[in-house]
Amino acid sequence: MSNEKDNEYREIFLAEALENYTEMNRLLTVLEKNVNDSKAVQALFRITHTLKGNATGMGFDKIAEMAHVLEDFFGEVREGRLELGSEIFTSVFKAADVLGELIEAIKTPKDVKYRGIKTKLEVFIRNAKQAPAAGQATQQPTAQEAGIQTGTSNSAAVELPEEEDHDESEVETTNVSFSDLVQVPVKKLDNLLNLVGELIIERDRIIANGASTHSSNEYSRLNRISSDLQYSVMDVRLVQVGFLFNKFHRIVRDASSKEGKKVSLKLEGTETEIDRNILQVISDSLIHLIRNSVGHGIEKPEVRKQKGKVEEGTVTLSASSESDTVIIKIKDDGAGINPERIKQKAIEKGLITAQDASQMSDRDLTMLIFEPGFSTMDSVTAISGRGVGMDVVKKALDSIGGTVQVDTMLGEGSIFTLSLPSSMAVKSTLLFDLDNQTYAIPLSYTESVISIYKSEIHKAANGLIAVHLGNTIHIVFLSDLFAQSIGKSKDKYASFDQLHPEQKLEIVVVSFNGKRIGFIVDKLLQQKEIVEKPLRKPFDSISYLSGVTILGNGNVCLALSIPGILNALVGNQVSRTINA
Amino acid sequence: MSEIKQHKKDATAQAHNMQIVVFKLGQEEYGLHIDQIKEVVITPTITRMPQTPAFVKGVANIRGNVIAILDLEEKFGLVRNHEASSNGNHFTLVIESEDYKMGILVREVPNTLSISSANVEDSVFTGDSQSEQSYITGIVKLEKRLIIMIDIFKVINEKEAQQLFKKQEVQDSVA
Repeated sequence: MSNEKDNEYREIFLAEALENYTEMNRLLTVLEKNVNDSKAVQALFRITHTLKGNATGMGFDKIAEMAHVLEDFFGEVREGRLELGSEIFTSVFKAADVLGELIEAIKTPKDVKYRGIKTKLEVFIRNAKQAPAAGQATQQPTAQEAGIQTGTSNSAAVELPEEEDHDESEVETTNVSFSDLVQVPVKKLDNLLNLVGELIIERDRIIANGASTHSSNEYSRLNRISSDLQYSVMDVRLVQVGFLFNKFHRIVRDASSKEGKKVSLKLEGTETEIDRNILQVISDSLIHLIRNSVGHGIEKPEVRKQKGKVEEGTVTLSASSESDTVIIKIKDDGAGINPERIKQKAIEKGLITAQDASQMSDRDLTMLIFEPGFSTMDSVTAISGRGVGMDVVKKALDSIGGTVQVDTMLGEGSIFTLSLPSSMAVKSTLLFDLDNQTYAIPLSYTESVISIYKSEIHKAANGLIAVHLGNTIHIVFLSDLFAQSIGKSKDKYASFDQLHPEQKLEIVVVSFNGKRIGFIVDKLLQQKEIVEKPLRKPFDSISYLSGVTILGNGNVCLALSIPGILNALVGNQVSRTINA
Repeated sequence: MSEIKQHKKDATAQAHNMQIVVFKLGQEEYGLHIDQIKEVVITPTITRMPQTPAFVKGVANIRGNVIAILDLEEKFGLVRNHEASSNGNHFTLVIESEDYKMGILVREVPNTLSISSANVEDSVFTGDSQSEQSYITGIVKLEKRLIIMIDIFKVINEKEAQQLFKKQEVQDSVA
């Protein structure tokens, strides 16, 4: 398995490296025509830098070394310390070719001599570095020549002959190489996935229709092939979280230097795979959470010292997959979140009343940071504390059916845990009937399914509540909710009062962001993996539903959006239903 | 298809002939340009949707597409006999554009009709000041018949869609 993965990464690296190499050659020719093209130099610097990073990661040391030298070289050119003459160009082109050969050698192992040209470039660089001491860029050519003869004569002399014989081998290998990878626009993949989704729905329909006349074996092949197809397409869309995580080193560096803090970023589980679109949706949220950890979590070095911690704080970003969810954790060893301060702030901002606050648990208080317009930082800093952001994180997660959880220990640090679906295509749901219609409720939000008698439900101040296993649950008649949403307003307790006292009620308990609500449904059906279609115009603004699917009997089944419904129910009154 | 092509050729030749699909809403006859209509199907099972206005009956599965089903009688406020409740709507006109796919409930199989544009009166004043007028594109007068031509996409235009499909706030529904 790991071998297979290795191969896959190797192929990805190869494809990227070849692309880099091609681009490098193109840029070099551009640069040769106009040596003052600073954009080209910049691009070359970037490309060689990327290549170096990738090669180091993959353990291709030769490529990394070569790319490193080229990067340094273009760095000097960029700084204006190295002037490009025709002689230098010859060497650079040669270096690029050698790099190409080294990349090629990954596919078809062969011995490529690269030290000669590498040393030659190093000589250029060293001379360039020495030159500024003398002052002027114009003096460089002479300095270089001098350098070759004097300062670095031993290494250059030793290596030069090797470079000579490389010259001959070069001629035969300048052929065109093709990558084994194809780049496909995400849009095409989205389309493919939609089509597969429709195929699955159609398959289910045909199987349901045929169940009466044919034996189930009849369709087993169709079943298998279409399932394989579906999973293959989903697999194509998976990318490693590492692609995103690796970009965070820079963000942490920038954020910590701005704040005058010392922070190191640790990555774990970078090979965990997740749907590309989901990664895209949460990327901004992750950036925000990480900045937040640096900005709010990690203390200043002197404070850390006082507390007896190491000066350098650590932010750990880890990913792991659990069946069909991916868990991403952002952990810091900073100050932790003080629930008392959150309480004060929330009361100050009018998010909750003092009375409500006294009833809330620390965990519920902590979740308040995700409310719009909340920020505990007293001063606005450059990277965090603008009072926007955390609610955006929550919104992004809602949109893909993910959840966030915060664990914090005062003085020890905080952990933000994001649970994300690993794929957007298939959703595990629970089907139920309501008013002769079938609905699907995502299992990711479903806490439990309970069955209680009407007599156990009580009218409380503004609604219905029930106590089950020690938990107080808010009870909502889903049919009333829907009736109200289409303008048929019913008496508050109409459905409830109509019921026979001995009536047993089926209740699906869902929870979202610590809010727990039980929905009364008519009849529970089975669990089912559904392929959800997004709501199209003119239904795209319905907040109660996340999508639709077609059932085996050909009817349309509505998939409930728990965040949408709960947000509508709770509105701005945060506290009312929290742990109601 | 060839028929339509034929029709188009005629239209360019005379510039005055067009084909319309006529259906009955209430006691009135309404017409749509034939190009706007994809097909007519027997109304499938309709799934009701929350947070929609009353004239949106819900969604249905028509050949694998999930399509909004509209009741224009309700939309236009045409009084309907009690005996003809929703189960009287046996057919659905399927309408398709790039943005929308939707179905319109009708009670009888619609007819196609070839009319001359000479019979179409363009500007109509219906007495309704603004929006209502905009989707009526003309009135066709044929002997004793009067057919109201509508632009179906304007019936659900952006303004309407925004207003009507706006998330309806839940008032005290928990309560």
